Parts: sequence; C-alpha cells; structure tokens
Amino acid sequence: MQRDKFFKEIENVEHPNEKLIKTHCSYCGMQCGMNLRVNTATNKIIGVEPRYDWPVTVGKMCPKGVTAYQQTNHKDRILRPLIRDDASLKGTKEGFREASWEEAYDLIAEKFGELQQNYGKDSLSVFSGVSMTNEKCYLTGKFARVALGTRYIDYNGRFCMSSAAGGFLRSFGVDRGSTLPWTDIHETDCLFIAGSNTAECHPTSMFRIWNVQERGGYIIVVDPRETPIARRADLHLDLKPGTDLALANGIVHLLVEKGYADEEFVNQHTNGFEETKELVKQFTPEYTSHLTGVAPEKIERAAEIYGKAPNAVVMFARGIEQQHKGVDNVSGYTNMALVTGKIGRPKSGVATFTGQGNGQGGREHGQKSDLLPGYRKITNPQHVQEVCNVWGITPEEMPKAGVSAYEMFELMDQKQIRGLYLLCSNPAVSAPNLNFVRNAMKNLDFMVCADFYLSESAEFADVILPSVTWSEDEGTVTNIEGRIIKINKAQEPLGESKPDWQMQVELAERLGKGENFAHLKTAKDVAEEFRLASKGGSADYYGATWDKIEKQDGVFWPCKDEGDEGTPHMFLDKKFYHPDGKAQICALPYRPPAEEPCEEYPLRLTTGRVVYHYLSGNQTRRIQFLKDMCPEPYVEVHPETAGKYNMEHDERIRLYTRRGEAIYKVKVTEAIRKDTVFVPYHFGHEESINLLTIPALDPKSRMPEFKACAAQMEKLEPKKVL
Amino acid sequence: MKKRLYIELENCIGCRSCLAACTQCGGHEERNRNYVYDVNPHVNRQTMPLMCLHCENPACARSCPAQAIQIHETGAVLSALVEKCIGCQNCTIACPYGIPKFDEEQNLMYKCDLCIDRTKDGIPPMCASVCPSNTLQWLTEEEIEQKQRRHDLDNDKWVTSMPYLEGATNVKVNLPGILQGTEKLF
Repeated sequence: MQRDKFFKEIENVEHPNEKLIKTHCSYCGMQCGMNLRVNTATNKIIGVEPRYDWPVTVGKMCPKGVTAYQQTNHKDRILRPLIRDDASLKGTKEGFREASWEEAYDLIAEKFGELQQNYGKDSLSVFSGVSMTNEKCYLTGKFARVALGTRYIDYNGRFCMSSAAGGFLRSFGVDRGSTLPWTDIHETDCLFIAGSNTAECHPTSMFRIWNVQERGGYIIVVDPRETPIARRADLHLDLKPGTDLALANGIVHLLVEKGYADEEFVNQHTNGFEETKELVKQFTPEYTSHLTGVAPEKIERAAEIYGKAPNAVVMFARGIEQQHKGVDNVSGYTNMALVTGKIGRPKSGVATFTGQGNGQGGREHGQKSDLLPGYRKITNPQHVQEVCNVWGITPEEMPKAGVSAYEMFELMDQKQIRGLYLLCSNPAVSAPNLNFVRNAMKNLDFMVCADFYLSESAEFADVILPSVTWSEDEGTVTNIEGRIIKINKAQEPLGESKPDWQMQVELAERLGKGENFAHLKTAKDVAEEFRLASKGGSADYYGATWDKIEKQDGVFWPCKDEGDEGTPHMFLDKKFYHPDGKAQICALPYRPPAEEPCEEYPLRLTTGRVVYHYLSGNQTRRIQFLKDMCPEPYVEVHPETAGKYNMEHDERIRLYTRRGEAIYKVKVTEAIRKDTVFVPYHFGHEESINLLTIPALDPKSRMPEFKACAAQMEKLEPKKVL
Repeated sequence: MKKRLYIELENCIGCRSCLAACTQCGGHEERNRNYVYDVNPHVNRQTMPLMCLHCENPACARSCPAQAIQIHETGAVLSALVEKCIGCQNCTIACPYGIPKFDEEQNLMYKCDLCIDRTKDGIPPMCASVCPSNTLQWLTEEEIEQKQRRHDLDNDKWVTSMPYLEGATNVKVNLPGILQGTEKLF
C-alpha cells in the first residue's frame, strides 16, 4: 500500500438514509477514487463524496469526476432496445421504436446470419472501446472471434494509446504505460512532459507535478500551446505540431555529446546505442531548431536539465502519439531515459498518460485486431493454442488477424465489411476524416450499437441495445500506472439496460455458440475466465484476484500467481522483456508530418481536449455543469494571425482542410504558436473537427495523425453568419 | 487542531472542479457559491479562484440590516438565514470581493458557508477536498505558518497575503510567485 505525504486520514461525512459505494471515476486513465452516494430508500445514485483513502488521488477529482454520477439516472438514458425499420433514416435520430430484448436479439441473429451466409464470416465486424472493464474488453474479443467468428475486431485505442503501445513494445519488449507508480512522481527531480495538456486531461496528476517544482525540481513541457502546465513550467519547448521526433533526436544527441549518457547502463542493458548515436548526430541544436521551431538555447537547456537530474521521468501523451510517426516519437523520447539510464529504479522512468479509463487493460486482452488475452499474438500458433484451451475452440476455428480501426471503415466502404457491432465508442465523432467514416457507417447493410445514450454513432444503427453505465456493473480496470483496480456496482441497471458482457453471452446463445458462453452468469464469472486466459501472457493478470485488489489498494501487473503482490516498479532488475533481456535504443530517421502547410493551406491544425469533456463528449455534453462550462468548440488563434485574417475574438469563421470544413468561433489567445490553430474534438455533427483531420496512419500502430495537418480559414460572407 | 482553508493561487489550473464540488455539499442545494476567473484570457491561461475569505469582521454581516448573516463559532461566515434575509443585497455590495450571490426567485442571498456541516467536524470543505492542483488546501495553523515563512522572501518582491488583504480573514492566501523563493535542487 503506497501511502505518501499527501495521504490524510479523513472520515467521510455521512448523510442520513444514504450509503457510500467505493469505486473509481468512469472517465480517464487516472481512475480517481470516488464514493458514490446511494439513497437507501430508492437505491439510486444521488451524488458523490471524495474517496480520501485512495492512495493515488486522495479524494481529488476534476469537474468531470465530480459530476460523473449524473450519467447514471440521466433523462437521456436508453431504457429499452430500439429498432429502426426504415433504413433511409440512418444518420438521424429519427425512426427508432422500442422493442423487447427478444425481438432485438432475434433480428440481430437473423441479419448477422444472412450476411455471413451470403458474404462470409468476415462480413461482420466489431468496433469496441476501452472505457469499460477488463472483463468486458476481454469478452468482446471472445465474442467477435468465437460467437461471430469474424477476424474484424478492433477498438478505439487505435485513436488513443496504440502508438504508446507500439513504442513501448519496441523499446522495452513490453507495453505497460508507466514504468513506475504515480506516487513516485512528486519525488522525482525533473519531469520532461511532451504532448500532454496534463492540467486539462489528467488534472489530478497536478498536485504531484507542482510539488516537483516546490521541492526545487524542474518541469519541462513540450507543446505547441502554452497550456496551463506549460505556463508554469521551468522550460516550455513550443514546437511546431508534428515535429516531436526531431526534438527527441536533438535532445538525445545533446545528452550523448555533453556526457550525460550512462555508458555502463547502455552497455549492459541496451542495444542500438551506436546506430542511434550516429543517426542523431545531424540533429544539432540549430538543425533541430530549424525543424521544430524551438529556439536552440531552449533545446540545450532542456538536455542539460534532464541530463543533470539525479532522477527524472519522461512523460508523454496523445500530442506525440497521435501522429503518423507516433510510435517513433514514443521510442524517440524513451531513448532519453535509456541513454541516461534513468529507468528501472524508483523516481525515474517513462510513462504515458493513458487517455481512456481502461486504455491500458483494454488493449491487452484481445480487442485489438491482432491480439489475444494476456497480450498474446494471434499470429503466434502457441499463443493461439493457449487461448483456444480456455475458450474451448480449436486453432482452426480461431480467425486470423484483422485490420485496424480506421481501416475497418475503408473495408466497410469497399463492402467487404457489411455488418457492424459497435460498443463503447463513438467513431462518428472520434475517427479522423469523418465525411468518409460517417458515409461508410451509413452504407452498412446492418449495424448494431450498444450504448447507454443515443450517440452520434448510434444514429447510424438499425438496432440499439441499451447498455449500463460504469456504476451499474462491477469489474476491474487497469489505471494509468498499470494498477488493476476494482469498479463496484452502486445501483441496479436502469430500465431494461444490461451490461455488455451479458448481452454478448445472450447473443452468443442466439448465434449457436451458447456452449462457449453460457457458463458466464456474472461479471465475476467473466473475471475468473479472463484471469485464466491472461495466465502466462506478458500482461499476466492471473494473480490479480478481486480480493487481492481490495486488500492491496490495487495490483500492478504483471501478477503471476496468488503469492505475487504485483509489480509497481518495472525493470528494477534491469531486465527488459526482449529475448536478450536488453532494452532497445532506437535509431529513428525523422519524417515530417504527412501533410505540411502550403500556400493553399498555410496553417497547422492541431486538436485536443478541454478539461470539461471526455473523448467524443457523448457523456459529458449531457452533464449540465460541463455543458455550461464548455458548450461548443472554438478555434484558438494567435492575435497576430487573427489580425492577418482580419478576424476578431468570438467571430464565427470557416476552417477547412482538403477533407472537410466547419464553422467555429475564434478564440484569440497568445498561448498558441502563430502558425498553428487548435480546436477541441469533443463535439458532434457539423461541429466535429474530425471532419477536417487527416487519416494518415502510423505504419506500426495504425494511429491517425490527429495532431497535425494543413488547414486554412476564412471569414464568413455576411449571409453565411449563423 | 484547528484547520483553515488555504489558497495557493500559483497552483490554479482553471479546471473549476471547486465549482462543481461546491454543488455537492449537503446544504448547498446544488448551487455553487464560489468563482474562478480567467485572469487575462487573451494572453495566457492563468486563472484564479475567488472564494469567500471568511473575514474576521465581515463587511457582509456588518452591512446586513436584518442580521441574516451569522458567524459560526469556527469563524465561518454563514449563508443568509432564509427567515431573516430581506433580499436587499447590501452584503454583495459591501463585500470587497463581491462574494454573496443572489437568488432572484427566492429573494435570498446565498454564499459560501465553508461547508459548515463538514468543517465543524474537521472534514475539509468540498472545494479543497477535490482540488486537483492543491490550489485549495485544508491545513493546520502550523502548516500555514510554515508556508508563509517559506514564501516570505523579504526581498520586496513577495510575501504572503496578510499585508495586502483588507482586514483579517480566516482563509489564508498566497498570491502567485511562490516559486521565486524556491532553491533549485541542482
């Protein structure tokens, strides 16, 4: 149990006729501890109380967390299955009628059966998400491969964490998002944070981060915008969007040149140093500055601070990962830690800020097109056999690897995929190049969407299955640290809604696969099978029983057996997960963004989040407080740039790229580069910035380049003003 | 051990979690009673919370013609008593920070009561409980004194709030600039 100086013994206030259910937030990877207040007369969730005894966040919550409970009994909840008979209404909210579960299941089984009979097993697809428990994520992979028998399953982590995963696998041979627990962060001497708007996207990290400075340590922030954390940082490297790899190479070059490399560590525990040293030589401060737009002195100072720091943590997030070289960016920044040996010990390491609540666990257990539970590969016959043993199928029955999230929409467009089972995601807002993606969804022969609200993506469905919110089911989630934690049930499902795992078990029976699923009657049953399925994989959860999670305030994976307490710090023995036990320092040639500014599109468009909204906003846009705080998107423009375009603050303007356009209010601020504009992505329909973003995919992670493309803006004709 | 609300303005990230949390306190009728301001929004992302400072001799209570604003034994300056408030809004005008809010429908002033149902038992108020950046903290007198000593540089640049606020307050404030006195580790 890691209790540090921020931990205080505080009793919760007790309200009459209420009980408190200990759980965690529904939103980001911080998974802040919270107590849900439940009225004991109505058995309904009515509020929230801080969970002071959760060691990571000690009662703290962001505004999303404080209001998260308002999702459960919200008026917009879908309470019964919905069927739409008139396919011409797809893409609208219209035409749905309520139906029984029986009718909905029958229709799905009939339509899915027809499609597979006419067009083959792989005409169906599953698009999933990781804002749900490990148990649900695990079962979704099994549902796709065993119940539907399709190779096409992928998930929204491709728009979120897949580059971090790819980079860590290449550098360390294992993908655990943080090599150290969050309770170490405030004790380090230097935080190097690239592409993370931490104060808005992971606010409850901030009390630890500020404490580094209060102790005399340093914060270095890499971001095209002067975000709240960049404003107070000791050093703000204000780079052009999409140029991270050049900066990483430039800093690694200086670390080597100025003698900060740890030769003993490099020799004993890494490969690839010499090639990397040779490659980064050309990234002098001047050349790096030319590519990134960051002043050479700042680059030199950053290398000096990081190099000198006794302990340091390199951290990053979607800013560097959502690029068509996201994997290279991750390995590039990770090189800093490997070259200097600042890893594999307390208070030093590398961490990515996990975006979705279960972004870590959800990518490990078989929702990815080529992965099986326990981070096993579907292309490895031994791995397939191990999972087949648990699932009760033969290796011949195991579908082959599929394609990534965005590529599934391409296959839908080509009519190779004709049916879709969508859950826990809203790609009609969160995918790039939305005109294309929405059209692909609209032209599907048959689409099912499981959600608790009618999302923008659900508007394309033929059948909507009402799922439950996080507070109406139980299971585990793996947080930003790699700590497996327990989500507890605070209320019975509203209306006729059901947890996703239950729908999948019941549907599997309709699809003739009951024998592989019928034994799963509770979330705990799924958990037991899931632990077994992960056993022996690199992400081994076998020893992480619910009892142990409760007793230890979570369990860090890997946790191989009952006696194993888990692994808060990775690589303490300096053993990495590549076959030779060494980490890989990567020589990474620089590539510019896929689309560079030009005469026609001279601006760099980058996208991101605001503190009030989560992902596609399907949940947070319905919460009054959050909606009041940020009701609509906007485009951030530097005053000098706004002046050139003759645009004023709050003026509505047209922003466009080669792929799409939208109208936004201008927000004039000096806290952004002059060559860059920024729009938050949480909004639907014609407000979605992803109408404009580019589907240039990373060759390894298949992550689209949300963070950089070329754009232009223009004033609206008076008649176009909304 | 008496604890006080303490505000470290340098830490604020503008998340407005304190506003959301304020609505969650039992006696607050789901209405928040605090404020967060963008200091200079066209220039940078600096923000600051504006909370009731619970003055020792509060102008709001002094200006109230109906004695509707009571002071709790802990020093918390309470929200207007429903049965006494006449809706004149003198308090809002008298308060140097404009803290008291007004409900037109109820013709009633409402303001921060420092979550009195919590703080009377030593439980931190909701705003300080949730504050992700430690801008709002719930500290003992000793902890506050330590902070004030640490940030009192005696260099004409900086110090704690005391000399600058109008009158003595129960809530203590550090203005931005705390890092100026920090000695770097290396």
